[in-house]
Amino acid sequence: MKTTKRRLLIGSAAATMMASTFAKVAIAKLPLARGGDPASDKALVRMIRVMFPHKRFGDGPYQRTADAVLAAAGKTPADRVAFSAALHDLQASGFTELDDKAALAKLKSIEDTAFFKLVKGTTVTTLYDDPEVWGLLGYEGPSFDKGGYVKRGFNDLTWLPEPRIEEYAGAGQ
Amino acid sequence: MKQIAKDEKAVVIIGSGAGGGTLAYELTKAGIACVLLEAGAYLKNEDYHNNEWEAFKQMAWLDARTTSGSWRIAKDFPTLPAWIVKAVGGTTTHWSGATPRFKDYEFKARTTYGDVAGATLLDWPITLEDLAPYYDKAEIAMGSTHRHGRPALPANNNYKVFANGAERVGYKLYATGPYATNAEPYDGRPASIQDGFNFQGDKSKAKWSTLVREIPRALETELLDLRPESHVVRITHDASGKVDTVVYADKSGALHEQAAHIVCVAGNSIETARLLLLSESNRFPKGLANSSDQVGRNYMRHLTGSVYARFDKPVHMFRGETMAGIIADEAAHKPDRGFVGGYYMETLSLGPSFLAAFAEPGGWGPEFAEIMDAYDRTAGMWIVGEDMPQATNRVTLSETVRDQWGLAAPNVHFDDHKNDVAMRNYAYDHAQKLYKAVGAIDSHRTPPYPSTHNLGTCRMSAKAEDGVVDRWGRAHDVPNLFVSDGSVMTTGAAANPTLTIVALAIRQAEYIAGELKKGTL
Ligand SMILES: Cc1cc2nc3c(=O)[nH]c(=O)nc-3n(C[C@H](O)[C@H](O)[C@H](O)COP(=O)(O)OP(=O)(O)OC[C@H]3O[C@@H](n4cnc5c(N)ncnc54)[C@H](O)[C@@H]3O)c2cc1C
Repeated sequence: MKTTKRRLLIGSAAATMMASTFAKVAIAKLPLARGGDPASDKALVRMIRVMFPHKRFGDGPYQRTADAVLAAAGKTPADRVAFSAALHDLQASGFTELDDKAALAKLKSIEDTAFFKLVKGTTVTTLYDDPEVWGLLGYEGPSFDKGGYVKRGFNDLTWLPEPRIEEYAGAGQ
Repeated sequence: MKQIAKDEKAVVIIGSGAGGGTLAYELTKAGIACVLLEAGAYLKNEDYHNNEWEAFKQMAWLDARTTSGSWRIAKDFPTLPAWIVKAVGGTTTHWSGATPRFKDYEFKARTTYGDVAGATLLDWPITLEDLAPYYDKAEIAMGSTHRHGRPALPANNNYKVFANGAERVGYKLYATGPYATNAEPYDGRPASIQDGFNFQGDKSKAKWSTLVREIPRALETELLDLRPESHVVRITHDASGKVDTVVYADKSGALHEQAAHIVCVAGNSIETARLLLLSESNRFPKGLANSSDQVGRNYMRHLTGSVYARFDKPVHMFRGETMAGIIADEAAHKPDRGFVGGYYMETLSLGPSFLAAFAEPGGWGPEFAEIMDAYDRTAGMWIVGEDMPQATNRVTLSETVRDQWGLAAPNVHFDDHKNDVAMRNYAYDHAQKLYKAVGAIDSHRTPPYPSTHNLGTCRMSAKAEDGVVDRWGRAHDVPNLFVSDGSVMTTGAAANPTLTIVALAIRQAEYIAGELKKGTL
């Protein structure tokens, strides 16, 4: 279907209306943990996946990250209300229905907002600090208790020749 | 442990890292009792966590700090200008271990490089010849590989990529060291188990730190009074202008006074300068030992930058000693490259938690995800080179922000010099070429991390008006006040600084012991 300019306008007007009614109802009871409001959970998890898209990751790491974002967003009533309002705006814009490319463009348009920065900052220090993600990325984590990597592949790279380890003995040093 | 009475005029050392820990051992070994005041807790190797953020929260100096200037840190990490440790052993407890020496001409930077506009270059009041015997002692103490009979560390995966790349672009001066971690048991400590955790504290003790060597040995002399969780807040002086008391807060915030015969400050450049500035008085209105107005100025942090390269085959850069790979071909001064001074390339690896935070601060989106997705196929290197001292790159006291004790926080102002930018771009380019030569699909230029090398805020100078301390690290203005850490560096050279800090501290200890014996101090 061809999207006309008019349809877009109507769409966004409806979205704004919906957002403002929603906002009145839902902001006050925005859950501080995931699971209270499935629609906003979905939007947040989707947002994080679009920001840091990894095909190999299931929903688990993204959901755990969303929990951390909600915890970080709920520090004061002011933070909480600002965060809920912004998340609702995003939902009301139809964000969860957008394809990857459109969703990315939408996020690009809000990347300077405090809301976006909070989600981004928390995600960077949470999503990649998750043992399941480490496994998916091929990072083996804590090693001392396993005797280090000395017998677990610290030098198992074979696609290049063994290099010299001693200092250069030739002239010109 | 020895207990020195608070009213007994003692040799008081502030900070137990590379400088202060070394000084404490060398002085007690020479029969001189010392009080060692350390702001951080006495963490032991077994307390460390093999986990990047947990270790950071456990060890990093996180007291209030602010930043200003055009460096990217002021935008990305405005309250974290430096990444250093607050614990017994200081930042040696989570350093990597690279120990190159400074070169002879790097002690004569002003003479060698000439007048570089905007830079406050100065020749050191000492030469490589003066320091050479102490470099030997420091390398032996630290067990630097490739030196004094210490064998090389083996090639780990990250090094294999790095060294093959070096060979293919025509570099010759590559090796797995010098690096202060045991390749075989040495000095009562074991060989490396290649556990890959360096920046988190080394649980195995294969890596040198003052925590595993100097401090326990100083304690064994029964002449060291080590006081952890003792944060020095002021140094006072008597009517003649000599320092006489060190005031510190214990962990509850209660204040204590220790009478002092000599005071040696080794709090790492930002805190050392801040403490002198906080210790202002009628006699020293701009800060203790600051008649020259040089305290806090000429702050240097080394050039730095990293390149992470992606391959289509596995690397597993995180397995093994983080920085056991050094290329010295670009370390020379070759002004035809468009900048003065030189730089080293050194292997580097971060875990996913830190790579995400530091690879491209503020980054997100598919390109960012691609960097992370390639984690186990990534090789990494760090670039460390000489940056230009500038009078305006400077530690000052914040007028608005206070730390947990109510003391003015330090502000770190930094702008890159033109020479720094030219060198960094050249180095990025050559690092990317190196990885390309060995098959990289792509590579990423990572900007400097919060400073791990902090230098120059109390520089050594022949003339009192040019700096803060003399050739022994003794304050020009105050005869019984010494600075014993990286802040004394007149210029930064290309090499990682710790070997030089340790060598300078051994030399200073010998001087102090000699003067005390002669009764001239
Ligand atoms: C991640 C990382 C990797 C590194 N790798 C290398 C490397 O490979 N090679 C190299 O040469 N260097 C390396 N370094 C740098 C090296 O750690 C420092 O150069 C060195 O530790 C500095 O010694 P210092 O004595 O000046 O300070 P520190 O070792 O930082 O010690 C200062 C001590 O003073 C204490 N202190 C500060 N203020 C006060 C106060 N007011 N009262 C009481 N105590 C106080 C601090 O808590 C700290 O314990 C690395 C650093 C980092 C962070």
